[in-house]
Amino acid sequence: MNHIESTSDAVPQVHMLGRVMRRLKPMVLGAAGTVFLASCASNAPQDTWVPKGPNAQKIDSLQKPVFAVAGIIGVIVAVVVTYSVIKFRDRGQPIPKQSHGNPALEITLTIIPALILAVVGVFTFRTVFDLNKTSDTQMIINVTGQQWWWEYDYPANNEYGITQPIITSGQLVIPVGTKVMLRQTSRDVIHSYWIPALNGKRDAVPGRITINRLEADEPGIYAGQCTEFCGLSHANMRMEAVALSKEDFAKWVSNQLKTYAAPAENTLAKEGETVFLNQCTRCHQVNGLTRADGTPVIAAPDENVWSGAAPNLSHLMSRNTFAGAMFNLVTPECRTDVWKSESLTFGAKYLAGVDEPCLNQTDLRGWLRNAPAMKPMYANPALLAATGGKYRGMPNLGLSESDIEKLVAYLLTLK
Amino acid sequence: MFTPGSKYLIAITGLSAVSFALYMLLVHPSALGAVALIGLVAATSLITGVALFTRDGHTPEGQTSAATVDTPTPSMWPLIAAAGLSLVLVGTVTTPIVFILGIVAILAALVEWTVQAWSESASGDRSYNEGIRERILNPVEYPILAAVGIAVIIFSFSRVMLAISKDAGAIIFIVAAAVISLVGLLISVRPQLKKSIVSAIAVVAAIGLVGAGIASMGFGMREDLVVAAEEDHYSHQECGAEKSDHFDKGVSETISATSGADATIELLDGKLTAQVQGIEGLQDSITVRRSNPSNIIFRNKDAGEFRLKAYLGKKQIADGVSEDLITCTQLISEGAEQWLTLTINKPSVSGEPYTLSIPGLEGQSIVVVVP
Ligand code: HEC
Ligand SMILES: [Cu+2]
Repeated sequence: MNHIESTSDAVPQVHMLGRVMRRLKPMVLGAAGTVFLASCASNAPQDTWVPKGPNAQKIDSLQKPVFAVAGIIGVIVAVVVTYSVIKFRDRGQPIPKQSHGNPALEITLTIIPALILAVVGVFTFRTVFDLNKTSDTQMIINVTGQQWWWEYDYPANNEYGITQPIITSGQLVIPVGTKVMLRQTSRDVIHSYWIPALNGKRDAVPGRITINRLEADEPGIYAGQCTEFCGLSHANMRMEAVALSKEDFAKWVSNQLKTYAAPAENTLAKEGETVFLNQCTRCHQVNGLTRADGTPVIAAPDENVWSGAAPNLSHLMSRNTFAGAMFNLVTPECRTDVWKSESLTFGAKYLAGVDEPCLNQTDLRGWLRNAPAMKPMYANPALLAATGGKYRGMPNLGLSESDIEKLVAYLLTLK
Repeated sequence: MFTPGSKYLIAITGLSAVSFALYMLLVHPSALGAVALIGLVAATSLITGVALFTRDGHTPEGQTSAATVDTPTPSMWPLIAAAGLSLVLVGTVTTPIVFILGIVAILAALVEWTVQAWSESASGDRSYNEGIRERILNPVEYPILAAVGIAVIIFSFSRVMLAISKDAGAIIFIVAAAVISLVGLLISVRPQLKKSIVSAIAVVAAIGLVGAGIASMGFGMREDLVVAAEEDHYSHQECGAEKSDHFDKGVSETISATSGADATIELLDGKLTAQVQGIEGLQDSITVRRSNPSNIIFRNKDAGEFRLKAYLGKKQIADGVSEDLITCTQLISEGAEQWLTLTINKPSVSGEPYTLSIPGLEGQSIVVVVP
């Protein structure tokens, strides 16, 4: 009686299973298709599987075999589980014989994974130590994170012609084939520096110096982004590493060391300089800029910005992104021209900097008009009690359109 | 279904839920109040659930076995654990000290309660069970209670001493010591004194001392100590070559960090050098970031006591008047090391270079570059 009942039950069950399977099929296919297509994305600059330098290569040589081993084991487990679930599902059969423990099997199933993990562990440790080597460093760059952009400063280094410290932001410029060591820290909260094509992630922690090594094989631009949640605009805190041939790097250095050239009298740019002096120098430093009486202008970001810093704009037009590498300083066409160029011509194109035809007027003007509208920042003067009146980010300065016109003309001279 | 007890508990749960709702809707809600009331709702509904589930602990006649008849002795530990839990909750939204007190209460209750419960099932004899409880816990309880007692006495007494003048302090010290000796003598020569009288004396003395301590705290510290604290002359840096009375007291000579420093500055054979991780060789200049605390290590490897002094430019304090920005380590002896934190808000572009040097040691300095 009992037996007959359960078999008659089993029939609708099979039907239902079939129906569920039929309904799931398009979903599964869709998901698999998406994953497959995503893996072929042509524009994926932060792909972790495409190393472009020895440090990233080391990580890649470790992660590929580990991924393979884990993948094979994962597939075996999934297949066995699925098979058992279907094969031994409840069809009303009597409960099978119960066994309690099988020492031989259990010991084998403990030892095999332990051995696999031990092998993976040995290679992991080796890679970790390799990546932390500092003795063969050829160039150091100080990297400072703050909400929500990165600052780079290059200490004097005769070998590379850096006679005075260089300071820049957003785009990290390095010579190819050079073992660069980043000495990282943060001015406010923990951030994390990550250029996937060149190395793994490394946190930038306030009060500590952490090191991170980069080396690029070929000239080019390598994208990355902050990978430690750091507040409101964490998602908008990006960075790029720009690798130049050694000769091009030397040119970049000499351009960064160029002294300030004030705009000619009676030009729009000169009027822009005046606006800049009034509105911007309380936060932004432009090296060599002087007041009408000849005294040097020293910005006071420590009095106005919570992190104590704002990007140094001395050579703004030598980079082609701004505000945490979030926005292009060049038009999309010019950007494509630089990004997609062969590695031989890349350096010259990058070094050309930004001139008027290439300038991304829309975004730069938008930024000057109302920066917090483009990138969320804590910049509402009424809500700064927690930071003692200091901004986190750049505020809306309420500039007039004619001031913006003048400022753009002036900023274009900062090359 | 609903026993009288559970009805009562359901009513309490309902009431607390209503008061939580009213509080959130009508009263201006604060995090503290909300946590307290939602905690009350959670606690009462938990108890209600338990009461419903166990039917108020009511078991039908004839199902009770002899072994369960013996009820456990009443215990204060569940109460203390509950109080500790509330303190932990309140502490998460107020101050850490409340949280820590809560944790201590919970830990103490857990240990005491566990041992007590365990000892009660050791045998059928209550006094024997009590005995083994004491054998296990007294060696822990007595030292802890004694330490707490001593701490309370020292803290209260020190408050009194800080409040009164130096001379009064000496007199009180002598009088207090004399009184304690006399009372001790009295007790020892009259051993037949009643136990209750001795404890009464001790309780009165303790209350008096704690009361005096509290009163002194209200009164505040004596004048000269207040002035010293205001002038902050224990942390006020004196960066000369000679040893300073206050700043060089209690010198810290070891650091535990093994990495993460911006640079290491060493004095060896009368020479000052800098080492920076990743740069080979000894440097005569270091580059540190603007507007950011940069931690550097100073290590003295020469015989004698030296300090590292940083000159970090000038600060305008009034029109035409400026002041040197100086910071320094304490004087440290041979083989010792100490942190120095440099926070520099202006780049080193103009004026005199920023430097690190050793007071009293001419011709040796490390330049600090700030881009
Ligand atoms: C209260 C301080 C403050 C003032 C005043 C200020 N800025 Fe900014 N500015 C910032 C901060 C902070 C950033 C970085 C924001 C980010 O990327 O998240 C910034 C970013 C920028 C950038 C992008 C730079 C880069 O390399 O990424 C430009 C360009 C800029 N500001 C121009 C100006 C101009 C022009 C003025 C004057 C009209 C001005 N700023 C006034 C604080 C300020
Ligand atoms: Cu960040």
